[in-house]
Amino acid sequence: MSRLATWITLGLVLAFLIGPFLIIIAAALSAGNSLAFPPQGISLKWVVKVFEIESFRESFAVSMFLAVGGTLAALLMGVPAAYGLVRYRVPGAETIRLIVSAPIIVPGIIVGLALLQYLVIPTGVGILTALFLAHTALVLPYAVRVVTASLDNLRVDIEEAALLLGCSRAGAFRRVVLPNIRGGVLAAFILGFVTSFNQVPVSLFLSGPGVRTLPIDMIAYMEINYDPSVAALSALLAFLSVGIVFAAERFLGFSRYV
Amino acid sequence: MALDQLTLAYGPTVAVAALDLTIARGELVALLGPSGCGKTTTMRAIAGLLSPRSGRIVIDGRDVTRLPPSRREVGLVFQSYALFPHLTVYENVAFGLRLKRVSDLDARVKAGLATVGLEAFADRAPAALSGGQQQRVALARSLVMEPKVLLLDEPLSNLDARLRLEMRMELQRVQRQTGVTMVFVTHDQAEAMALADRIVVMREGQIEQIGSPEAIYTAPASRFVADFVGFETILPDDALGESEGEGETGAQAGWLAWRPGAVRLGAGPYRGIIAGAAFAGERRDYVIDTPMGLIKADTPAQDPPLSPGADIAFDLPRAAAVRLER
Repeated sequence: MSRLATWITLGLVLAFLIGPFLIIIAAALSAGNSLAFPPQGISLKWVVKVFEIESFRESFAVSMFLAVGGTLAALLMGVPAAYGLVRYRVPGAETIRLIVSAPIIVPGIIVGLALLQYLVIPTGVGILTALFLAHTALVLPYAVRVVTASLDNLRVDIEEAALLLGCSRAGAFRRVVLPNIRGGVLAAFILGFVTSFNQVPVSLFLSGPGVRTLPIDMIAYMEINYDPSVAALSALLAFLSVGIVFAAERFLGFSRYV
Repeated sequence: MALDQLTLAYGPTVAVAALDLTIARGELVALLGPSGCGKTTTMRAIAGLLSPRSGRIVIDGRDVTRLPPSRREVGLVFQSYALFPHLTVYENVAFGLRLKRVSDLDARVKAGLATVGLEAFADRAPAALSGGQQQRVALARSLVMEPKVLLLDEPLSNLDARLRLEMRMELQRVQRQTGVTMVFVTHDQAEAMALADRIVVMREGQIEQIGSPEAIYTAPASRFVADFVGFETILPDDALGESEGEGETGAQAGWLAWRPGAVRLGAGPYRGIIAGAAFAGERRDYVIDTPMGLIKADTPAQDPPLSPGADIAFDLPRAAAVRLER
């Protein structure tokens, strides 16, 4: 009996997880002119249309730039930060960890509003700059956390061995630490990329003429055109994310780090 | 190599206090002591992984106290071997030589691997080797750098009994072959005895005794050393005369110490109850409950066994005892 209950629970969980995804795919393949389920006929015309919409192409570029650039910037800060926190007895290490995690805890919409109100408006900093800062900060906690996890598994004595064999501290980091946490850094990059790319609330307030992230652009588009092209785009993005994570799991055992 | 008034501390805790020690070129010295005695700390200071609070470290006439580990010409074989997991055996051994940009890299790496008999494993990953093989890679990795001093942290403790003997001979052979000064740290007196030319017994950050293995084994200088090298029965000098009395004397002149084998069972002026008996192959071990305290004894295995609870006579021959002043 309890076995049956287990299967039912598992089935429901999977249905809730995968169900929406299937509905989006079905809606994307619709031949009709409005977003609806079940779809009216089957066609690829909305998938094709996605690539023809100018603003999607522009906001896709913005989102890509933020996801790649912001994540790289976060790693540039996050890897040394994680190293410092793991290897040295830093005064107030717990507080630092907490501050680094703040962007996860503070609701994104507040971060976005605060950046608009106190950075963009008073200083006249460009929207893109503000977005870049926001996305970097947002990804930083993941970068620190994932890299910390892989550093925890790395023995200190191999660094000491490198020092005795002629390395400087920086040299030991580059020649011995980095190659051994490569998997963790790559995992952090993928996690950061996906987080940044799918980010809505922070970006909501930070949009301006010609500068918008893709998810925000999709919302804007939906308000005017209620057609299946948004579903088609969603399906494409979902496949992109799933593809990345699947490849990551396949080649570096992603789930070990997250 | 000389350590001159070396004091090492972790924050407010002094781990090693004003240590003086001189080691000759080509010597094989063991730092022996229980955990927490400062032996590992001393070794890390020699390697440069820990800055001394005060004192000097001199290697081959050069003061290296302030030099970083990379410039001390000291090798260290870690207890955990600390091989680079992302590099092959060959690249592990080549690591230091590459940094030095030596011209005959390949020849030296191959010679290093040959010294430890691992030429056939050059392309393996360290994780694919056994513990003993990994240790030999770590040894080769240090040796190819031609260090002035080679430090080894508990070199035999991670190996099983058979490998231990093999590695012991290997280390002695390498030492003869290269003439490198070796200092190793161990908590195992048998290991120190078997391997070292000279043993430095440490206790609570200070040197308790320095001497040849024979000297340490037969003539320990203190109760601590005696206990450490297997004198299991240590009694105050004046305990023997008044075995019935519990009288604590104020000014004790010294102590007498016996190995279990020196305690004679079956006859003698003292009596006790066998509190425990164990068969240990070559010998039978006994614990005897006496008015003087618990006394450990053993007899050859061919002697008839004594059963626990038996009341027996025994002797603590003065001639077989070692006298200790402290």
